[in-house]
Amino acid sequence: MADMPSQFWAGWIVVITVTSFLALVWLIVDIYRDGDLGGEVKDELWDETLREGARPAPVWWFWFILALMAVSVVYVMLYPGLGAYRGALRWSLGGQITERFADYETQFGARRRRILELSFAELAHDEETMRSAWRVFNNHCTSCHGRDAGGQAQQFPDLSDASWQWGGSEVQLSETIRAGRQAAMPAWQASIGEQGVRRLADYVLALAAGDDGSAAQAEGAGLFQQFCTACHGADGSGNPVLGAPALNDAVWLYGGSRADVMRSIAMGRNGVMPTFGGRLDETQIRLVAAWLSAGAKVPDER
Amino acid sequence: MKLVSLHRKIERNSGLLIFGILVVSSIGGLVQVLPIVLGDAHGAPAAGLAVYSPLELEGRDLYIRESCSTCHTQQVRPLLAEVKRYGPYSRAGEFAYDRPFLWGSKRTGPDLARIGGKYNDDWQRMHLLDPRSVVPASIMPAYPWLASRDADQGRTIQARMRALQQLGHPYSDQDIAAAPAALEGRTELEALVAYLQSLGRSMAGEPQP
Ligand code: HEC
Ligand code: HEC
Ligand code: HEC
Repeated sequence: MADMPSQFWAGWIVVITVTSFLALVWLIVDIYRDGDLGGEVKDELWDETLREGARPAPVWWFWFILALMAVSVVYVMLYPGLGAYRGALRWSLGGQITERFADYETQFGARRRRILELSFAELAHDEETMRSAWRVFNNHCTSCHGRDAGGQAQQFPDLSDASWQWGGSEVQLSETIRAGRQAAMPAWQASIGEQGVRRLADYVLALAAGDDGSAAQAEGAGLFQQFCTACHGADGSGNPVLGAPALNDAVWLYGGSRADVMRSIAMGRNGVMPTFGGRLDETQIRLVAAWLSAGAKVPDER
Repeated sequence: MKLVSLHRKIERNSGLLIFGILVVSSIGGLVQVLPIVLGDAHGAPAAGLAVYSPLELEGRDLYIRESCSTCHTQQVRPLLAEVKRYGPYSRAGEFAYDRPFLWGSKRTGPDLARIGGKYNDDWQRMHLLDPRSVVPASIMPAYPWLASRDADQGRTIQARMRALQQLGHPYSDQDIAAAPAALEGRTELEALVAYLQSLGRSMAGEPQP
């Protein structure tokens, strides 16, 4: 029966529903005509010597049941219920949610379109807008970046500082959120050895501390020029196109202890920021980006 | 014929009464359930729906073993607020390869129907081993043993896939032959994360609602 056409099943539903309904009506009406309603208690013999008094149902039950039946007839005329018949009101679950979305659009559409037109600075100016922005952030981003956007677990970057690995312009921030980012920091242990990793770590730490360290860490500086400048830049200032962070500042994603930095260099790092283009619409992306750009200030809860 | 007299007769004969009860109580099922099971459209896999890989299937069974569905649902209802929060509402065809389905009925934690891709694998691992490490206020239990246990310790993956193959899941014999190798050396944690990352992927990019 699996390959029966859908009309078959529509017909099946109609026939069974209508037949059982009519049978019920018939039974109820029959009971009425039988005079088996209201009246005296009857002494009935049920089985051999089993006797029991039976009080007939009150007459108003009959009218009540009939009224309910009338209601159900009206219901299946208005709403889908009988096979493929869609009902006079043409109601559907899908239609209902489409309607809700239309309401939402009328209510918020203009405001949402306006957000797309305003500059980040103008958006940051309006407290109510920033509150909405924070709500979007709170719903989608806090599990990784933390409730105050301060980063956590030495895995998820601090977004409240002005140091951007992938760039902090309007376009770059929006693109980070919309399309996600996949960082590729290679592992160096195999090619430069334990010794090299240690020297590089010292050199990088010196860079971060503000001196270019070339005198004290001449060998590290040499290795850095050879292997690292392609991505991190000759002065270690990073490259937002590749997501290579600046190494000449004290901002660390994976930790700034010697052990952490050695681990980063030896084993590489591959941070993944998920793609939000499918989950957030353009208005929401712009809102959060503007909020981040303005310093990610958590508004007072009201 | 008078239906009342028939009714009386049935009431006085227990064999007939049992039969009558069976007929009447089957009507709901005949109308509501049978057309969905036997007829068609509802059971057809959604476009883009892939059958679970052995690793994902193992993860699914771990999800069942750990009773994640006591706190998590896997169904986005067709309500504006839910679609806004979780993404497109769930369609029947998305569950074609879920036997049994894991819709759940209680949300202590959020819905997981569209969790795939929302977080990266690192986050999922950290969160399962110690939810408080990434969500400080979380009340979700920690599942630290997942990391130290090998996936499919009972070596039953082939039997499970064969059972599903019988039920019409499109596993080829090669898929089944290759399954143990795909689980070799993987932990339960990896399996569960692979399963979570597969959830809702067939609807990615679907316009809302
Ligand atoms: C192919 C480009 C590339 C090269 C070459 C490269 N890096 Fe990186 N590096 C990156 C990227 C991208 C990141 C960010 C990784 C992440 O966010 O997951 C990074 C991150 C780092 C970090 C961690 C920074 C932090 O904030 O925790 C250190 C340290 C580092 N690199 C040092 C080096 C050193 C030393 C070299 C040379 C041996 C080097 N990198 C070569 C791309 C590169
Ligand atoms: C799965 C956890 C996760 C979630 C959820 C997440 N992020 Fe990220 N995000 C990351 C990781 C990891 C990185 C670092 C990527 C790298 O190593 O380069 C990152 C990087 C970023 C960056 C780039 C930072 C820089 O220095 O350039 C921005 C901006 C950002 N996230 C914003 C967001 C916003 C907005 C949301 C919510 C819509 C969000 N993230 C949700 C994990 C996450
Ligand atoms: C006692 C109830 C409970 C149980 C059991 C439970 N969770 Fe959770 N889960 C939560 C709560 C509460 C949250 C929200 C806080 C958080 O993110 O930790 C959550 C969050 C999550 C999230 C993140 C959802 C999101 O959108 O941010 C995932 C994924 C998850 N749980 C998976 C699992 C898995 C897999 C299991 C079974 C191994 C499980 N949970 C068992 C309560 C539970």
